[in-house]
Amino acid sequence: MTDPFPQEADPTTSEADTRPRQRFELEDTGFDEVPPRFRKFYRRWRGPGDQLGPNEVICPVCKVVIRSTRELRPGDRVYCMPCMSRLIVVRGEDGRLEARVAY
Amino acid sequence: MADFLAAYSIQNWLESCPQGYLVGTVYGHRPEEEEPAALLENEILREEAIRTTVQLVVGERCALAASSGLINAAPDEASKRFLATQTLDEARHVEIFTQRLLDLGVPKKDLESTIQHFANPNLVKFAEVLLEKVDKKDFVAGVVGQNIVLEGMAFSVFEMMHAISEPTNPKFAHMLSGTIADERRHVGFGENRIGSLIKQYPERKPDIEKLQKEMSYWMLATFADAFRNNPARAEFKRIEGELGRAGVHAEWQGVDLLTMEPEEMEHLLADTVLKEFKIRLGRIGIEYQTPARP
Repeated sequence: MTDPFPQEADPTTSEADTRPRQRFELEDTGFDEVPPRFRKFYRRWRGPGDQLGPNEVICPVCKVVIRSTRELRPGDRVYCMPCMSRLIVVRGEDGRLEARVAY
Repeated sequence: MADFLAAYSIQNWLESCPQGYLVGTVYGHRPEEEEPAALLENEILREEAIRTTVQLVVGERCALAASSGLINAAPDEASKRFLATQTLDEARHVEIFTQRLLDLGVPKKDLESTIQHFANPNLVKFAEVLLEKVDKKDFVAGVVGQNIVLEGMAFSVFEMMHAISEPTNPKFAHMLSGTIADERRHVGFGENRIGSLIKQYPERKPDIEKLQKEMSYWMLATFADAFRNNPARAEFKRIEGELGRAGVHAEWQGVDLLTMEPEEMEHLLADTVLKEFKIRLGRIGIEYQTPARP
């Protein structure tokens, strides 16, 4: 199944990174709050010590981790199906990737 | 906008909830799961579990009245449909927590009097502030009060209770995890729908900020009653000691809840909820108002 969620950032923006994106094989993590075909794209956040991968970003609305088959980059758009929020990936002040809600 | 509202469909709800994480459950838990004997046989703990569960029933009855009351005030069909699914979610929560009271040994004939007896008056005030807005068919204030303040509070309270119950009471933990999954949709609707509506009605901000401040005060007063001067304090301490010696931990927000004093837990919960309010309201352009501390 192809990853239905991320829409890549506009390659003409200043944050655009032209390096090829890393690819990731996703496995079911037991997250059962979305229909089975989408489950591998989400996992539960395990709290402050939980390390996010380069293909993961936390939904600020419902605290679920959204996972992509590709490395995420600033400007990418992702969708949080458990809380139905549309999100944009940004670089946070600490240098890590964060998601902002697009209302 | 059309795509955003399209997600609020009955079909989405069916696939995620009844055909998803609720499959095979009975009153929100696995059929074979029961309240632990150690809880049912300990009168102090059993009464404390009843008192806690009554607050959940009171909160969920408020959420049921609010979400059903807001359906006819909603400005679009998709929001009406979402609130219809939320109404069923809240009715389910009322039902499963009421069933838990029966499982804890409350006789059916005494259900209402038990709820009356244990209901925290500050939580009742909290509900009244919200339901006054709903009665006036004030959709914007009603959704902020219900889906951001009430659901935001419930989200953190349920997560904290889930962290404590997971190693000690799998039945209750399972009930809570299904409820938390429902809350994700509810807080998502609150933020996303109000985030767009508040841009249309910026003149509503002062009224909404006042509502948040008032509801937050009654919430903090409820927490204070629940954690301070708790009659089961000594028994909790004894059991936490036993669990600690057995290597049991209940981690939430980076700390082990089983090692904390009740006052520390109250502060952790209150600070977590208020911080979340501030962040959530800030995202939709509403200025968080610091409530008085009871």
